Amino acid sequence: MAFAIQFVIDVLSLGGAYALMALGLVIIYGILRLVNFAYGELIMVAGYTMYLTSGSGLPWLLMAALAVVMAIVFGILTDYVAFRPVRAKSVTAVLITSFAFSNLLQNAALLFISPRPRNVPLPDIFSQTVSIGGAITPVRNLITIAASIVLLAAVAFLMRKTTLGIAMRAAATNFTMARMLGVPANLIITSAFALSGFLAGVVGLLWIGRIGTVVPGVGLEPLLVAFIATVIGGMRSLPGAVVGGFLLALIDTTLNYTLSQDLLKFRDAFTFSLVILILLWRPEGLIKGPASGQRT
Amino acid sequence: MLDVRDLSVSYGTIRAVRGISFSVGKGELVSLLGANGAGKSSTIKCIAGALKASGGSITLEGKDITAASPEQVIRAGLATVPETRDVFPDLTVAENLMLGAYIHRRDQAGNRDNLERLHTLFPRLAERSAQAAGTLSGGEQQMLVIARALMARPSVLLLDEPSLGLAPAIVERIFEMIETLKTSGLTILLVEQNVNQALAVADRAYVMRLGAIVASGTAEEIRSTSDLSSHYLGG
Amino acid sequence: MKHSYLTALILIAVIAIIAVGSHVLGIRLYDRIATNLLISLVLVVGLQTFMGNSGLLSFAHIGFMGFGAYTSAVLTIPAQMKGMALPDLYEFMKVVEISPLLAMLAAGVVAALVAAFVAYPLMRLSDAAAVITSFALLVVLYTIMNNWSALTNGPRTLFGLPKTTDMPIAAIVAGVVVVGAPLFKESRTGKLLRASREDEVAAAALGANIPQLRWRAFILAAFIAGVGGALWGHFITSFAPKAFYLKETFLIITMLVIGGANTVTGAVAGTILITFAYEGLRGTEGALNAGATGAGQVVGLTEIVLALAMIAVMIVKPGGLFPNREIGHILTRTRRRKETSA
Repeated sequence: MAFAIQFVIDVLSLGGAYALMALGLVIIYGILRLVNFAYGELIMVAGYTMYLTSGSGLPWLLMAALAVVMAIVFGILTDYVAFRPVRAKSVTAVLITSFAFSNLLQNAALLFISPRPRNVPLPDIFSQTVSIGGAITPVRNLITIAASIVLLAAVAFLMRKTTLGIAMRAAATNFTMARMLGVPANLIITSAFALSGFLAGVVGLLWIGRIGTVVPGVGLEPLLVAFIATVIGGMRSLPGAVVGGFLLALIDTTLNYTLSQDLLKFRDAFTFSLVILILLWRPEGLIKGPASGQRT
Repeated sequence: MLDVRDLSVSYGTIRAVRGISFSVGKGELVSLLGANGAGKSSTIKCIAGALKASGGSITLEGKDITAASPEQVIRAGLATVPETRDVFPDLTVAENLMLGAYIHRRDQAGNRDNLERLHTLFPRLAERSAQAAGTLSGGEQQMLVIARALMARPSVLLLDEPSLGLAPAIVERIFEMIETLKTSGLTILLVEQNVNQALAVADRAYVMRLGAIVASGTAEEIRSTSDLSSHYLGG
Repeated sequence: MKHSYLTALILIAVIAIIAVGSHVLGIRLYDRIATNLLISLVLVVGLQTFMGNSGLLSFAHIGFMGFGAYTSAVLTIPAQMKGMALPDLYEFMKVVEISPLLAMLAAGVVAALVAAFVAYPLMRLSDAAAVITSFALLVVLYTIMNNWSALTNGPRTLFGLPKTTDMPIAAIVAGVVVVGAPLFKESRTGKLLRASREDEVAAAALGANIPQLRWRAFILAAFIAGVGGALWGHFITSFAPKAFYLKETFLIITMLVIGGANTVTGAVAGTILITFAYEGLRGTEGALNAGATGAGQVVGLTEIVLALAMIAVMIVKPGGLFPNREIGHILTRTRRRKETSA
């Protein structure tokens, strides 16, 4: 029984984190058809902000809030540096500029801070453990589950009930038509990047909370997770990204529990193979995204 | 009301619209006729701000909107219904209409009144308010995009081929509704391939061919004197 | 298709100039740079055969290079050394030792087989999905190389490859690739693939099975990458899995994109340009570091400059230096224009 609870908590907390990572990426892709390679670096920025403010004596929540704000700032910065100048050119051009920007940020961190892992201050309750039905789990996992539920609900509310969210969904289907109704294009885009940055900031704190340190390459794994979850969920579907995230977490956790010791280091290869099988079965992803708006 | 002077639109080296001039007076319904490729849609897209003009000017109530972005055009009071009938398919009918009122989003009360009025004008839409717009039939979608444009409280309405792809019975109803809009005082520029229906509701009309205006006059004049078949079929 | 022959000829001439020029100058350093450049050419042009024709970016290319390098290593490290270099190697492999030339071909084949197996489902994905999945593939290939200690010595350095790659060999392989690429581009597969980029429906109507075409191009690119990996392995004689990961991926993509991903000429031009820029920047970095103490070390400056250059090029000339026409085409056009105006 305890084992099952342990498993469920692991899947839910990892799934929640994965879902948030994927969501941040899909928001940009869904609206702008742009793959943001620099997305992982927003998590890196959140981590380094925590590191750089750790000596300041501020309460942790304030440092965390600042970290999220920095992630939002860099998200919007990505728009101005990597997207706006090349938006009108080819889709590949945008992919490459975001890839270059990602490299730029990582190497800037390498150059101006350090290539070595740096400690990130974490509140004590992150590492405290609690016992649920016999299973012992860090409180951090429960916080992750709670945070993901709250954030996913908030994003769903934003997208369904607010004018901005409806405008963003409309822009995702037909950018020009949305503009013809007076929806300001630039506002939509900036909001998308800001939201993406916000999600990256929060999930960054939770993710780095697991590791405890930050390195320039810390964003790589979340980026990969976001990529894979998005692809299996359905590239332009927000619910798809969430489903993809949880599915990926299920696969990863199951493999963690079932693979033998020497096969465990190949876990990512196994995950990828399963993902390929899913893609063989459903190349467009599990959940269909918004239609392209064809006339009946 | 709407004044187009010497307008040119080019796609690279292809000149789709070659220096045309026309005007739409307040309360008038003017129709732009012509076969496929005549340049009508390019003209509409240019006025709407979705396409850049390579020459000429567009004035709305004295204000120059030639280089205006789509967001600015609608704020100036000109709403466009494109020929592709772009509903937002995953948004509900209600959400589509709500977006139509985006520029008036602060005026909740006014929007509610407007919505009431449009629901009376388009009862079908009221019925399907919570349905996804992509599930509506072609005729219903056409009504939806017109209603959506009206939510913006425009002074001028641009309609690009509203009858395209619709069954004759539905087309009848659409044009009845256009007639109603006209009598309510709305200024309308109507692009159409369905000549009969268009001339039945229009006050005046222009005929375009290969990017230029080849005939203009009242609906009566165009209907009786002009050799429309030659304009449409060439020769 | 006359201008594609002219292109191949010109590019071979460029390679010959590099090879002969460096030989004539006789400086060891230049020799090393030139050989590295020629090996990079193999890799970048290999990437171009997939990217230029399908329009899809592939991040997995360097992973296949690694597979090729390790394949060749396992097949050519002398039996006596194998005990030390690969202590966990499988018994039956310990006695295998074949000629480096055969090993190079085997490297290409292994890479191609892996690509064939893994990539088929990926080719049916939408463009963006295919690109980001290729990125995941790179990571997976790296994970395998990093952990399959029996064949790769894990994350540790693998020693013992015979140094059989010298400049002439690199030049020959580069020459072959530089002729093969334009030929592939103008082949039926290449043409249909490029047509499908413009209009998928029209190309399908012509009988183009787009996933299959992409798959073929991907396999070819992987084969070339494998060969390039073997070539490099026998040049540098020792390497570790981290030589086949993000930094190198960024470098070859920079080379290809700045030169022009759509043309073989672009791939060559970009490689030459970026190699010189890279060596120059590395030299500057080294000079700066020599003067500074520990805290003032500049690491990553080269990458930052290259990243900025990439962004700048994408803004100003998104197609690269040679966006559409091969050099053969450009020269024939110029000559024809001169003739008509004369």
